[in-house]
Amino acid sequence: MRRGHEGRGATVLTVRNLRKSYGGKAALDGFSLAVRPGEIVGLIGHNGAGKTTFVEVVTGLVRADRGQADICGIDALARPREARALLGVAPQELALYPGVTVREQLGLFAGLAGLRRAAAARAVAATAEELMLTDVLDRRCGILSGGQRRRAQAAAALVGGPRVLLLDEPTAGADPQTRAALLAAVRARAAAGAAVVYTTHYLPELVDLDATLAVARAGRVVARGGRAELTADLPGEIRVSLDPARPRPDLPAPLAARTRPFGEHGLRIATRNPPADLAALLACGCAPTAVDVRRPDLDDLYAALAAGSATTALDTEEGGRAA
Amino acid sequence: MRPDPAHDGVHDAPDAREPAFDAVAVRAGGAGGGHLSLLRAGVLIRHNTLLLLREPGPLIGRLVMPVLLMLALRPLYVAAEGPAGAGQAAVGALVTFSLLALSIVGGSILTERVWHTWDRLRATPVRPLELLVGKAVPVLGVLALQQAVVLATGVAVGGMAVDSPGLLAAACAAWGLALLGMGSAVGVAARSFGQLSAAFDIGGFCLTTLGGALVPLATLPGWVQAAAPVSPGYWAATTLRHAAAGETAPTLRGVAVLLAVAVVGGVVAGWRVRRGFGRAAAV
Repeated sequence: MRRGHEGRGATVLTVRNLRKSYGGKAALDGFSLAVRPGEIVGLIGHNGAGKTTFVEVVTGLVRADRGQADICGIDALARPREARALLGVAPQELALYPGVTVREQLGLFAGLAGLRRAAAARAVAATAEELMLTDVLDRRCGILSGGQRRRAQAAAALVGGPRVLLLDEPTAGADPQTRAALLAAVRARAAAGAAVVYTTHYLPELVDLDATLAVARAGRVVARGGRAELTADLPGEIRVSLDPARPRPDLPAPLAARTRPFGEHGLRIATRNPPADLAALLACGCAPTAVDVRRPDLDDLYAALAAGSATTALDTEEGGRAA
Repeated sequence: MRPDPAHDGVHDAPDAREPAFDAVAVRAGGAGGGHLSLLRAGVLIRHNTLLLLREPGPLIGRLVMPVLLMLALRPLYVAAEGPAGAGQAAVGALVTFSLLALSIVGGSILTERVWHTWDRLRATPVRPLELLVGKAVPVLGVLALQQAVVLATGVAVGGMAVDSPGLLAAACAAWGLALLGMGSAVGVAARSFGQLSAAFDIGGFCLTTLGGALVPLATLPGWVQAAAPVSPGYWAATTLRHAAAGETAPTLRGVAVLLAVAVVGGVVAGWRVRRGFGRAAAV
């Protein structure tokens, strides 16, 4: 069903309440996500959180048990081939033909995206340039280095000029040069208007990409928003080094409850208010030799959500509905 | 943290930009319309031909070996069936080695699954029919070349007589399609190269022997002769012989049987491809 809702601010990829089970075990359990043109969404979560299954459902490789998926107004579950024409996919597993050259590999996917020969050749050359593959265009994929293979895989996703990019751990095992090239290419495509879903376990990449975040756990998105927004309420940390010659101070109970040892003579204190906690520390006679204040980052968010120690509004809503 | 509770987690992202996507304008064979995009099928046929040519060893073997086998078995056939046995030797070698060529079809499909390229192709707008056509057409070309080489050698060197080239061509085409159907079905059903190898080694040998392609059926035990019609190899061998002799009715009956085999194999392969292999089919 076409809805023609691609105006300013409209989403180009919307999935709602996707459910998919394998033998009674839910891989997707109410997975919902929306992505706008030009947006890069970092989809994070532990293995088994549903990230890859989400990609497989959207690309039509796996049929969802329930739910909706919409790509640029096309119902991707009812009309998967039309929806796939708008997608560029880089799966987690390398999918290259070892016996063909990079040029031939990219030419195949350009052709399948509907580009005629001349246009396909131009797209291949441009994409290779973008991903630093120009020098190996006529080399067989089977003899490429690991990083070159990763770039060739991503290039196959980009070469057709898709409106939505699904990149499933595109930099897994990649060297820094490959990672930098891939991130630059993703940023460029997003700047040109493509919507990007970028699955990764390398959280600093999402900072580089200035991505908004979607945190998946147990088959659903449990947190969604900007990085600052999602980490705002997480505790940061004060790391204090103490003089070993002086006796360890007695901390007030509320502070002690949030304190763990740090090295042989130090303390680490989970804090939402570093100045107040530092003041409390000094007030009880602590004389630090060094203090390091860490703001909460993506690692903290990831750890908190993956461990289930953080309850989100989405969790509460789903739980209430289930109840 | 303050996740967005709205819309079941569907979130309007901050900093969304105006779509400025500059799609490449020159496109053809879009996702919609028709059951077969000629552009996409053409791209896949070209690609699969390239894959075949990049590893020519099996192709060369399957062109040379039937000629050698035909020349080696010719005295046996002539001794068993008289002068007509010369033609039977060519047909027998052709059927035997074309059955072995099944592995080209099945192997190419299974290899793509191992390389993960099969699912990568399925993540494009390609239809299952286009995928199978892309695989089948180059192999059909190889089979046609094999048939042409063996039959031409049979006529030129082996003393084979062809009364009706048209009927023979029809029989060859039907047999080629049957091979494609069977090979595709086995290729999508096998979960490992071990399974595929077992299917082709055991199945191919049984089919050729049971069908009377490898050795003259008249020399085999009665129970084998009685069971022979269940083998597609039997129908291939008898149909090719009838066609070469210009016998229209039995040739058409055989062609119908072979086309039925092709359709059944194709339907099984198409159903399996459409259904997908998923992660459970990792090989």
